[in-house]
Amino acid sequence: MLLDENKSQSGSQGWQPKIIAFFCNWCTYTAADLAGVSRIKHAPNARVIRVMCSGRVDPQFILDSFAKGADGVLVGGCHPGDCHYQEGNYKCLRRFQLFKRVVESFGINKDRLRLEWISASEGDKVRLVINDMVAKVKALGPLSLPKKFSEWDKEMNIIEEKIAGKEEAVHA
Amino acid sequence: MSKTTGNTRTGFYICHCGTNIAGTVDVEKVVDYVSKLPNVVVAKHYKYMCSDPGQEMIQKDIRDQNLNRLVVAACSPFLHERTFRNVASQAGLNQFFFQMVNTREQNAWVHLDALASTEKAIDLARSAIFRVAFHKPLEQKKVPIHPGVLVVGGGIAGIHASLTLANAGKKVFLVEREPTIGGHMAMFDKTFPTLDCAACILTPKMSSVKNHPNITMWTYSEIESVDGYVGNFKVNVKKKPRYIIEDLCVGCLDCIDACVYKEPRFFDEFNQGLSKRKPVYIPFPQATPQLVVIDPETCIDFKSNKCKKTCVDVCERKAIDLNQQPEHKEIEVGTIIVATGFKPFDASGVPYYGYGVYPNVYTALEVERLINASGPTSGEVVMRDGSRPEKIAIIHCVGSRDKNTNLWCSRVCCLYSLKLAHLLKEHTHADIYNFYIDIRTPGKMMEEFYYRMAEEGTKFIRGRVADIYPDLTDEVHRRLIVKAEDTLISEIIKVPVDMVVLSTGLEPRADANDVRRMFNITCSTEGFFIERHPKLAPVNTFTDGIFLAGCCQGPKDIPDTVAQAGAAAAEALALIDSGFIELEPNTAFVVEVDCSGCKSCVPLCPYSAISYQEDKKKAYINEALCKGCGTCVASCPSGSIKQNLFEDEEIYSEIDGILNYTNIYEVSECC
Amino acid sequence: MATDIEGIKSVTLETIYDTPEGKLIQSCIQCGTCAGACPHGEYMDYPPRRIIKMLQHGLIEKVFETDSMLKCVNCYACMVKCPREIHLTEVILQLVKEQTIIRLPAVPPELQKALENNYRYGNPMGESGRKRANWVTTSSVPVRILSQNPEPVDVLWFVESYPSYHPRGQDTCRALAKILNALEIDFAILGNEEKSAGECGMLSYESGLAEALVDYNMSVFAKYKFNKMITTDPHALDAFNYRYKLYDFGYEAQHAILFIMQYHDRLKPLLKKTLGYSVTYHDSCCLGRHNKFYDEPRQLLQLIPGIKLVEMVHNRLNSICCGGGGGGMWLDTYFKSQNMERLSDIRVKEAIETGADILAVACPYEIPRFEDALKVAGYDKKIAVKDIVELVSESMED
Ligand SMILES: Cc1cc2nc3c(=O)[nH]c(=O)nc-3n(C[C@H](O)[C@H](O)[C@H](O)COP(=O)(O)OP(=O)(O)OC[C@H]3O[C@@H](n4cnc5c(N)ncnc54)[C@H](O)[C@@H]3O)c2cc1C
Ligand code: SF4
Ligand code: SF4
Ligand code: FES
Repeated sequence: MLLDENKSQSGSQGWQPKIIAFFCNWCTYTAADLAGVSRIKHAPNARVIRVMCSGRVDPQFILDSFAKGADGVLVGGCHPGDCHYQEGNYKCLRRFQLFKRVVESFGINKDRLRLEWISASEGDKVRLVINDMVAKVKALGPLSLPKKFSEWDKEMNIIEEKIAGKEEAVHA
Repeated sequence: MSKTTGNTRTGFYICHCGTNIAGTVDVEKVVDYVSKLPNVVVAKHYKYMCSDPGQEMIQKDIRDQNLNRLVVAACSPFLHERTFRNVASQAGLNQFFFQMVNTREQNAWVHLDALASTEKAIDLARSAIFRVAFHKPLEQKKVPIHPGVLVVGGGIAGIHASLTLANAGKKVFLVEREPTIGGHMAMFDKTFPTLDCAACILTPKMSSVKNHPNITMWTYSEIESVDGYVGNFKVNVKKKPRYIIEDLCVGCLDCIDACVYKEPRFFDEFNQGLSKRKPVYIPFPQATPQLVVIDPETCIDFKSNKCKKTCVDVCERKAIDLNQQPEHKEIEVGTIIVATGFKPFDASGVPYYGYGVYPNVYTALEVERLINASGPTSGEVVMRDGSRPEKIAIIHCVGSRDKNTNLWCSRVCCLYSLKLAHLLKEHTHADIYNFYIDIRTPGKMMEEFYYRMAEEGTKFIRGRVADIYPDLTDEVHRRLIVKAEDTLISEIIKVPVDMVVLSTGLEPRADANDVRRMFNITCSTEGFFIERHPKLAPVNTFTDGIFLAGCCQGPKDIPDTVAQAGAAAAEALALIDSGFIELEPNTAFVVEVDCSGCKSCVPLCPYSAISYQEDKKKAYINEALCKGCGTCVASCPSGSIKQNLFEDEEIYSEIDGILNYTNIYEVSECC
Repeated sequence: MATDIEGIKSVTLETIYDTPEGKLIQSCIQCGTCAGACPHGEYMDYPPRRIIKMLQHGLIEKVFETDSMLKCVNCYACMVKCPREIHLTEVILQLVKEQTIIRLPAVPPELQKALENNYRYGNPMGESGRKRANWVTTSSVPVRILSQNPEPVDVLWFVESYPSYHPRGQDTCRALAKILNALEIDFAILGNEEKSAGECGMLSYESGLAEALVDYNMSVFAKYKFNKMITTDPHALDAFNYRYKLYDFGYEAQHAILFIMQYHDRLKPLLKKTLGYSVTYHDSCCLGRHNKFYDEPRQLLQLIPGIKLVEMVHNRLNSICCGGGGGGMWLDTYFKSQNMERLSDIRVKEAIETGADILAVACPYEIPRFEDALKVAGYDKKIAVKDIVELVSESMED
């Protein structure tokens, strides 16, 4: 089952990807603020959810984001050695590497999920990363899992109905 | 949304911030949209939400409309989260029933497309409204603040901050890496713009530090580790052995005379290598403390164990101890001021200026020593080849304003170049040529200073020097030719001079990154420490309780350094005198009924806040040790650890809000 | 690198602000470092700094009324020192130079001739194309010529014109052939099929000349199979690595010295003869400032037993151009008519000053230029000009 099959999908014109970004409070969120203070313009597609540390990012958050309609998920933390809580980012990285494989095995393209170390002074890196990710996700097209889920639900219903119908016919 | 209990009545407010937000985000449209969301009772926009009328409007609504949740879309929470939390609590609402939406820094300021920007604002507003419904009333924990202060670095910044705090009756620990305090200022002869003698204004302050009953001064020492948090830092300091028993040494300097090296032979750091010192030395006559140091790198006894140790013999007070070991001190303080200063740009980084190749090319700091009455030449400007200069070129901006080296303007070089022009003229009567790109003299009395220097006859050439090389046709003097375009007359000029002074810029210390990590503060890519806010919190860092002073935060002159040191001291005092600090309640806790006792969280906590209760077979989190990163929460297989302010439901509802998930669900349900 | 290449391709004076390289000129602080660094700055009515300002003000036409940019020798001195990292030599000045030459009432005859020769004979001297590989007959080791033996080869050696025809250039060729042979490298040359690579810069004002040479050489390369390309000429090196890349040249060309240095373990035992020279090395503009290879040539020299390296006053990044770049090779007469001091004369004075026996070079333009300048200075008996490969080969004799 490949979730990421969108090339043929219609209705994606004028579509803008939605990216959920989990940024740690100390480095990456601060960097995003710095980008603001320095008026570094970038793509408007990311929606930031602030967590204290990238270590707080539960893989379930990422799955949930995709399942509920995100086209991409970005996790941002401090550079190795710089985590405000010493090593939350290592924990995040370890989890992330495992999890990335899981997500790929679902057929979600690897470009839809990204982990970046962005320090508080790297306002410009926020721009680079978000722009790059948006471009890549745009190229992939919408993921639209909720829609797919509901279509599958419908198909399942139809199949079930058919089976039920057949059974009834058999019985009759 | 059904999971929230009770009657949620949310007020939503979006700020125009003048035109900062409203210029890009269509605030009316946002209000329009939000007012139709479930639970939203009030939705308003206003010009300046953080102003008094703005705050009062919100408070009135909370009271009149019985609001029990508050969402404000405005600037970054780093700026005004506290303001609006106060608004809530003053109106009788628990301050944590509040959520802020960053609509300025992370939206209006970084996007050009008004439609997309408005859409983003709507998504994030919805997200906050979903989230805030799950918020719980929380109490902030109050912890007492330890009144002691650690000051790191004993330059003029550290000295001034220490004295200010000590005079206010606080206990100060001043830790300096070098054998003496004083920093760069101690090396100067005179200081711009008033040309008062550096020693005259600095040394009295240095001895006050030494003698102040409230200051513990540890020189030749390093910070080894910093633990804890605002109000309660535990710091380990290593005192390097100077091989002198401090209490016994009276600074008579007999040992220096007695050293088996009859002549000084080693690089004298304080004099920039323009003179030599012995293995046993004192950096400069007014060094504070007045104690000698023995340098194990050059002392024969440390190499071969075969020295006659004449220094030990001569010391009547038996103060020399060649077996001295490093001492480790543990101190507790409530606040920390970082004042580690700068390092001058290494002039060989601009290879075509010939520093290190031609002996008569000097750095400004070397010249400061040369013209200093207590310097290596007793204030005579005698060059490395023994001659005296008749023509001198002073080159501004060396290593500064240059993408190949450092892009920033070092702020003091123009002024100290003018100062050196004056002092060199006074000492040598030489012709002085100042090569500059722009003369920058902001600040009180600075332009007047420039005016006076110009009147003295210093020649100014507007052009960045492109090449310095010896004049091969001049067999006798081998003068250096300084080549530049005088851009104001558009002529390429070649000025033969005897001496070149490179006005090197100011750089972060080489170990800025280590220091930053140690104190958990941030620094820019180049290495200057970053203040919490460039205008509103210029001496605070992102770590509560740690403050900045002096050139470690960016290049500045002595007046600004001292002003900033005073500000840092005042901020520390404000904290100390409030007596306690309120901590963010974002700690984690175990919901014991759900805990399966798998222990996987225990090793994860960097602060060892999690323990395993053998009797109950459950994990337990010590709230006092938890710093609230949430790493354990994310990894608990049974989902039984929760983090206040960042509970799973809160984050899931944020995701739902951004993606407008309920709606999709409803849509698919209905058809 | 990639962006530079794109920059060269797309920037024109009209579109200058549309490209990142062009935009950079907006950040110029008019410090004049470029003008002061330029070896010919004092002879230009509009040295680089003023050109930037004229560009900013839209007054560039005025610059074309003067011969300022004709005097640019493509030496990169301004570019490496510019505190705003403006791509002067690489992009901006090239464009101005091109226009300058197009509008010149008369191109100086010497230069005109060289360009014509390049067009007609594939070399600037006007030698017959059929004699290009003649030097091979005097080589002490066999040199394979691809047109005679088109088997795939590992290393294609692009010889270039000066080394092919100039007697001293041929010495360098024989030396390199010997070294490659001793290192057991599988190499070959194009022989008479080869034509000048074209200049390192954009001397394309003789309309289509550069393109014609590129097209021609590319079609020859397409006939053969090889893995690497080497050359002793830094100008050709830059032509391939910057200009030919725009035409899908798929190799990374390497300067012979860097290529040899890769084999220094194998080379070292072969260098048996102690030379006992004091040597000063002249950093060529393309190899040094443009490609930042300052250390490798010196390291190769130091591999040779008995060589003592001494430095000139201007070295490495701060080296002075020999005056041969950017068409300067064929402008000596013109420059003289403008009362300009010859750069090669200035340069050899510094070499003389070091007291060295050998002035070592790594660019074929430099041998004739410096030999002539030494003769003028009366020092041609005291200092010899040698390509580094010649010294290496000399040390291989026992
Ligand atoms: C050539 C020159 C001339 C100048 N002339 C003038 C002038 O005339 N007038 C003027 O107003 N300004 C002048 N300035 C600027 C002036 O030097 C600075 O404003 C001032 O020295 C800044 O003081 P500071 O305490 O921040 O830093 P510093 O003087 O650098 O002091 C920092 C101290 O911290 C110590 N330290 C560093 N790291 C650590 C660590 N990890 N642990 C413990 N200790 C540490 C250092 O040893 C040092 O003692 C001049 C600057 C230069 C380069
Ligand atoms: S060196 Fe660079 S910044 Fe200075 S004038 Fe020349 S182009 Fe402008
Ligand atoms: S490349 Fe060399 S010759 Fe040309 S302008 Fe720059 S410095 Fe002058
Ligand atoms: S605080 Fe930024 S990753 Fe831990």
